[in-house]
Amino acid sequence: MKRGLFLRHMILAYSKLSFSQVFKLYTALQQYFQSGEKKAVEDADMELTSREEGERKMEKEELDVSVREEEVSCSGPLSQKQAEFFLSQQASLLKNDETKALTPASLQKELNNLLKFNPDFAEAHYLSYLNNLRVQDVFSSTHSLLHYFDRLILTGAESKSNGEEGYGRSLRYAALNLAALHCRFGHYQQAELALQEAIRIAQESNDHVCLQHCLSWLYVLGQKRSDSYVLLEHSVKKAVHFGLPYLASLGIQSLVQQRAFAGKTANKLMDALKDSDLLHWKHSLSELIDISIAQKTAIWRLYGRSTMALQQAQMLLSMNSLESVNGGVQQNNTESFAVALCHLAELHAEQGCFAAASEVLKHLKERFPPNSQHAQLWMLCDQKIQFDRAMNDGKFHLADSLVTGITALNSMEGVYRKAVVLQAQNQMTEAHKLLQKLLTHCQKMKNTEMVISVLLSVAELYWRSSSPTIALPVLLQALALSKEYRLQYLASETVLNLAFAQLILGIPEQALSLLHMAIEPVLADGAILDKGRAMFLVAKCQVASAASYEPPKKAEALEAAIENLNEAKNYFAKVDCKERIRDVVYFQARLYHTLGKTQERNRCAMLFRQLHQELPSHGVPLINHL
Amino acid sequence: MAASTSVVPVPVTAAAVPVLSTNGDFSDLREIKKQLLLIAGLTRERGLLHSSKWSAELAFSLPALHLAELQPPPPITEEDAQDMDAYTLAKAYFDVKEYDRAAHFLHGCNSKKAYFLYMYSRYLSGEKKKDDETVDSLGPLEKGQVKNEALRELRVELSKKHQARELDGFGLYLYGVVLRKLDLVKEAIDVFVEATHVLPLHWGAWLELCNLITDKEMLKFLSLPDTWMKEFFLAHIYTELQLIEEALQKYQNLIDVGFSKSSYIVSQIAVAYHNIRDIDKALSIFNELRKQDPYRIENMDTFSNLLYVRSMKSELSYLAHNLCEIDKYRVETCCVIGNYYSLRSQHEKAALYFQRALKLNPRYLGAWTLMGHEYMEMKNTSAAIQAYRHAIEVNKRDYRAWYGLGQTYEILKMPFYCLYYYRRAHQLRPNDSRMLVALGECYEKLNQLVEAKKCYWRAYAVGDVEKMALVKLAKLHEQLTESEQAAQCYIKYIQDIYSCGEIVEHLEESTAFRYLAQYYFKCKLWDEASTCAQKCCAFNDTREEGKALLRQILQLRNQGETPTTEIPAPFFLPASLSANNTPTRRVSPLNLSSVTP
Repeated sequence: MKRGLFLRHMILAYSKLSFSQVFKLYTALQQYFQSGEKKAVEDADMELTSREEGERKMEKEELDVSVREEEVSCSGPLSQKQAEFFLSQQASLLKNDETKALTPASLQKELNNLLKFNPDFAEAHYLSYLNNLRVQDVFSSTHSLLHYFDRLILTGAESKSNGEEGYGRSLRYAALNLAALHCRFGHYQQAELALQEAIRIAQESNDHVCLQHCLSWLYVLGQKRSDSYVLLEHSVKKAVHFGLPYLASLGIQSLVQQRAFAGKTANKLMDALKDSDLLHWKHSLSELIDISIAQKTAIWRLYGRSTMALQQAQMLLSMNSLESVNGGVQQNNTESFAVALCHLAELHAEQGCFAAASEVLKHLKERFPPNSQHAQLWMLCDQKIQFDRAMNDGKFHLADSLVTGITALNSMEGVYRKAVVLQAQNQMTEAHKLLQKLLTHCQKMKNTEMVISVLLSVAELYWRSSSPTIALPVLLQALALSKEYRLQYLASETVLNLAFAQLILGIPEQALSLLHMAIEPVLADGAILDKGRAMFLVAKCQVASAASYEPPKKAEALEAAIENLNEAKNYFAKVDCKERIRDVVYFQARLYHTLGKTQERNRCAMLFRQLHQELPSHGVPLINHL
Repeated sequence: MAASTSVVPVPVTAAAVPVLSTNGDFSDLREIKKQLLLIAGLTRERGLLHSSKWSAELAFSLPALHLAELQPPPPITEEDAQDMDAYTLAKAYFDVKEYDRAAHFLHGCNSKKAYFLYMYSRYLSGEKKKDDETVDSLGPLEKGQVKNEALRELRVELSKKHQARELDGFGLYLYGVVLRKLDLVKEAIDVFVEATHVLPLHWGAWLELCNLITDKEMLKFLSLPDTWMKEFFLAHIYTELQLIEEALQKYQNLIDVGFSKSSYIVSQIAVAYHNIRDIDKALSIFNELRKQDPYRIENMDTFSNLLYVRSMKSELSYLAHNLCEIDKYRVETCCVIGNYYSLRSQHEKAALYFQRALKLNPRYLGAWTLMGHEYMEMKNTSAAIQAYRHAIEVNKRDYRAWYGLGQTYEILKMPFYCLYYYRRAHQLRPNDSRMLVALGECYEKLNQLVEAKKCYWRAYAVGDVEKMALVKLAKLHEQLTESEQAAQCYIKYIQDIYSCGEIVEHLEESTAFRYLAQYYFKCKLWDEASTCAQKCCAFNDTREEGKALLRQILQLRNQGETPTTEIPAPFFLPASLSANNTPTRRVSPLNLSSVTP
């Protein structure tokens, strides 16, 4: 049936040709057969091939084309259908799996070739714009984008059905796309101007759909402002009203993100995400489902529930493999993937599984080559993990050299890490100065997570300079903040610090009871290092509070403390934290000495001596170290 | 520039053409005339009609030679004699545009002349077929696919000969043309340079070189032969590259040397003046040119542009009638008629004529831009955008098309969007105030007043054509309540107008005087204030205000306020200010803070 229709088309097209055209067709056919003798050619005329039959062949052409780039100019032009297929294929590859698409240079070559044969082929300009974005070329991408819209405007006006409407439409979206481009390159002021223009034109022509898009972008641009959530709520409502599920759930997701930073309870957020998930599954917006899961991972991580975060991250990864089995569109290089994988790497690193973490990072490097859009995510993650390892290992100079890299990717994080290094190197004044500056900056930017971290560092600074009383109010402030924003991980960290401060102030019983409260979440969700620190602190408190006990009871308490120290030692060993192991061993030796267990004492003392010779001493008294 | 040392070894061609060694100065005009006549003959024999025409025109402008001085025709060599019959037949076919036939009969000829004609016929045959193909292509898909099929073969054959150093100057020229058509620009430039070394008299090679050189830097690195032809080339390329000052200097030199009668040079000077928008000078030169050479059609499109700008309807109409009589199927004629209709606000007809011009020559880029303007007038913005885009496709450096695109988007009320286009135009013509004023207006609309100020100031500094930049700048200062600067700007504006001595109606004059009057009034400079207020009374819209202000001044003076005369008012500064208001004034580069391209 279809074949008959195709033949009919052919015959009609043929009978319309003039003599000279027939002659030309004949010579073209002749050439085609001669050039294609190697392949088994069943259907002859390139431009009249029907869609169904042509597609398979076109794919083959495509492969050939990418192999012999040089020859492409002599292989002749692609037909309209072939060109369209080529464009859509490359575009979807760019979106979903960039590594499989042609390299930027060769793709540009193809496009130039295409445009040479058919300069009115506007879509090619758009692909060229996308391709230029890949290599972060502002000039060429602007040029291509504007060229595309100039061309689009003309085709829009040509088709009578669209008429004036289609023409105005492309104008609005031209301005909107320009805004997006500037936003992508970080020219926020320009982006805002372009966006205003788009909004004005859309308003003038009552295009609510376009206005919705503008509104979403407006939120993206105005994220820093405090009242932006009003905009967003409004946008979500309107988007639902106009039946734009994609925009609506994107809005919900942004809203959830915003609320999470603002300290809303998890159940509400999860509820909202669940609702939007329903919407996604209904409209099968697989991209948004990915984002949603990635977001859940991030939220659980923010709240300090590493197990849940781990589970969500794994879910995203395994879900994708399911989809590829089903033969659906595989989305391989979306941002959500990068985010989930980065979280995975960090979580593994936290648990001391450095080999696994580096494996994940290696995979990230392959999937997101260094110059691609989302590469910065894993770069930052990689550097952070390296930094933490260097700090654990006591290699401060190494950590210091990593700071520059981190600063380049995230200035706030960089400054914080610099302060941490300075502190570890006993440069208290500089560290304090840096931390104070960072604190005011973070408070202005409303980055609560960072504020709490900075406060903790400041507190540590105080007791290391032997003034634990000043540290207390700072710690209480941090505790209040982390409770308010439900950042469990930071809260328990703060409690540890508080307990330590109390220990220094000589109320170990208080500290012990405080620790009992905090130890559970730390052991459940905390990083290995934190677990070790917590156990070490418990042991210290036990020893301190045992001072007033009766001898038999005291011995019991000390035994318990030794047990805890062993546990702490195990934890520290997992993350290669030799310095802390040294402290623990020293402490154990002292305890064994008190208990009169000479053999054990000697063993510990020897271990201590070994470690002490290996490591430089930083002159911080043991007691002043959490 | 090491012009005397050629990069390529020069093959020996002197045997065939004895007098083609040229020197670099113009001391011996008779010798030059001899050479010109000779080359005109040689190019004619080879069917290179335009070069022949150019040489003949130039030769005509020099004084005639006596019989004794006339060059005998170059001797006929053995090879020439062998190919004489074939050549004569083929040339006849060639002249009646039967290129394939000509090529067929020339096949196997050995003499340089016959070989060139052989290759050239094949090239032209390919070009002709290409043009014919475009008419009946198989469909829209093929648009732009048609190409000269002969080019590849020609390139292969010519490159073989080139490597064997068997090509003479004309052969090299043809090789260059083939390379250029195949978009092998770099190779083409090298070959053309070689061609100019071998045969400096052939204007066609120089002209092709002109089309390939895109900026001054490229020009610097060329090693060109040291001959008097180079002066013509340099003058021409300076005009192309918008380096008008240098071009005019070169042309003046040529005229001083003795080419004052050459219509080519006169027309080039007129075009140069047109490019720097010195309309009066250009007009007078064109009028002169038309008297000398009444049937000339070349460059008349430029002339019509000038007439259009000055809205000289009757002259334009006369020109259109005249050209139509001479040859109505010329691109220039269509352009002139289009301009004429446009001036009469019959934009549909104008667009029609520009379209016709494009049919006659699809690569005639001026018509695309002009058509864009017409569509703009017809409020058909999408067609205008299309036309401008086509113009840009033909020549990326066409600032008028970029400017037109900017204007189109400005009309569509997209000030941010059009910034890009204006910026492109500005890049191409950094010293043209119109782009700067347009940029400034856009920035003003976007409320980026700092940028706008920069643009206006720069526009004034490079010599404002429309005299509006200062007023706009002053108004901006007014908005920002920088009264001092605003007053300065108004003062400069008024000085500008008065120093020009034009009686053109300046609408903003009254505004300037009103502001100044009020400014001086506030500064308590009574004398100046009253002068300005009196000036205000001369204009209808400010008369009442002026009178009121005068009364107030009088009142305050009578109250015994001592007029402060110590501060000399900088009102009418010496006229020297107008002297450094030339367009060539050097200014620091415009540093717009926006990062976008």
